[in-house]
Amino acid sequence: MTSAERIDALLKGGSLDRVPFLSFILGFCAKNVGYPVAAIYCDPEKSLRAQVWTREQYGYDSEPFYGYASYGGFEFNGEIKLPDGEYEQAPSHKRFAVVKEEDVEKLELPDVKTAGMLPLAMQFSRLQDEHGISPSVVVGGPFTIAGNICIVETLCRWLIKKPELVHRLLRLATDHVLDVARYWIDTFGVGRVNIQIWEPLATNQIISPKMFEKFVLPYQTEFHQKILAIGMKYILCHICGEQNRNLPYWASVPMGDPGIISIGKEVDINTAIEYFGDNCIIAGNIAPAILQTGTPQEIYGLCRQAIEKGKHAPRGYALMQGCEVPVNTPPYNLYIMKKAVNDFGWY
Amino acid sequence: MTMVMDKKTGELIKGLYDAVIHMDEDTARELSQVILKEGIDAYYAVTHGLMTAMEKVGELYSNNTYFVPEVLLCADALYAGLEVLRPHIKVGGAETKKQIVIGTIEGDIHDIGKNLVKIMFEAAGWVVHDLGKDVKLQRFVEEQNRTQSDVVALSALMTTSMLAMPKVIEMIKAKDPNVAIMVGGAPLTREIAKSYGADGYADNAGEAVREANEMLRRLKDKTVRS
Repeated sequence: MTSAERIDALLKGGSLDRVPFLSFILGFCAKNVGYPVAAIYCDPEKSLRAQVWTREQYGYDSEPFYGYASYGGFEFNGEIKLPDGEYEQAPSHKRFAVVKEEDVEKLELPDVKTAGMLPLAMQFSRLQDEHGISPSVVVGGPFTIAGNICIVETLCRWLIKKPELVHRLLRLATDHVLDVARYWIDTFGVGRVNIQIWEPLATNQIISPKMFEKFVLPYQTEFHQKILAIGMKYILCHICGEQNRNLPYWASVPMGDPGIISIGKEVDINTAIEYFGDNCIIAGNIAPAILQTGTPQEIYGLCRQAIEKGKHAPRGYALMQGCEVPVNTPPYNLYIMKKAVNDFGWY
Repeated sequence: MTMVMDKKTGELIKGLYDAVIHMDEDTARELSQVILKEGIDAYYAVTHGLMTAMEKVGELYSNNTYFVPEVLLCADALYAGLEVLRPHIKVGGAETKKQIVIGTIEGDIHDIGKNLVKIMFEAAGWVVHDLGKDVKLQRFVEEQNRTQSDVVALSALMTTSMLAMPKVIEMIKAKDPNVAIMVGGAPLTREIAKSYGADGYADNAGEAVREANEMLRRLKDKTVRS
């Protein structure tokens, strides 16, 4: 099967030749082909080229995409900085739009055609379309976006002291990502756009399951329901970090039929199958830190375990990293994932 | 000076303790003022009221009862009380406070974990030299040189940034072989910490102070034996 056929079969529940290999990979691609890491985010043509070439080299099945974890900050009039140092891999916050209470009232919904990095993201999607790649868009979940608009420590304090401010941020964040989704669907057509929704801030390393239920769940659910209703092709929902105690709530969020749930090392694949297996393709969960610092043997072993656990998941499974491939991952360590899927992933 | 715990003192100290646990900044401030008015020793109130409470908060955080929002607000209550009481602590005695240099490593702007660790160390009575986030490697070396701290603590959330850790550990140890270095952050494990040359690793902020003390003890034992 070609990669496109394999992904299509995965999404349609058809027969697969082997477990697909998806890659959460951005800055690594730039370095791999000799571009600065920042090019992934500020130069759509170079970004696409770097990702296409790297995909060709390593043979994973997922398609190039454009996105970054601090999305939303710049779009709501904060400032970000592109990666330029030896130890930087993605855009990072330079100034938050919301620092104090009065800043919340001043916030306005961004114009999705002009705000922040959205023009570059749209340019990238047009390039995807021109190259026969399914157009995609990447956003944070509303809670992660709220944490990109407002300093996270302040947001955390407001969760208890000023919940009404948090709800205002979440309302704006939800309306914004709905606008983005609509814009992409209006541009490329119903059933043609797929979306990645990254929600790392909702981890239990930050908030309790109770806070997840109160602040994350309603907005996340609304977002998913609405974008599925307007014709999003599929959702890949990335929930890295310690999310185990949130899983009963995540399981109630509509993901599509099927959606893809991408998990980090903290959530065991068998646990993911238990909560999501009936509705979602499970993708994961090789730890990026091990990719970067582990031996090929360790990584091969982890991949084998993951494949053996996930291979017969009811709606399907794809081997994937638990989060972004680190920029300085030893190349062989990435290759070894492909080797593992070739050795253990055939049906 | 021996402290005879009368009922009223006990109630006030307990009230201060509860104010921190229950994230009540106003009550912590008010009770601290009452404590001073009552002539209760400020240092006693800080150690038995505020610091003991924050130790409990650390436990609650480690056992997933409290999370980041709760710990931050408990810390706010702690600091509200400290602001009132600290100026009245009688300085003296031979006690030397332990010191720690802490920062999020170069390339990494995530500091919430580092800030929680800072709170725990301050609550435990350490002097904390906080370098902030995205701290250039040489800055850690310079600050350690300046302060001669007992511990240097490095934090990273990003896998790309954590690669700076072995380099800065080597740089610090080259100038000060006796300093204890601990690391922490989501992508790290105890095994990775060891491979980087760190002397200690804390899984979360609630464990950090204990790990630092155990690390210092381990290093002292090693020195004695050699």
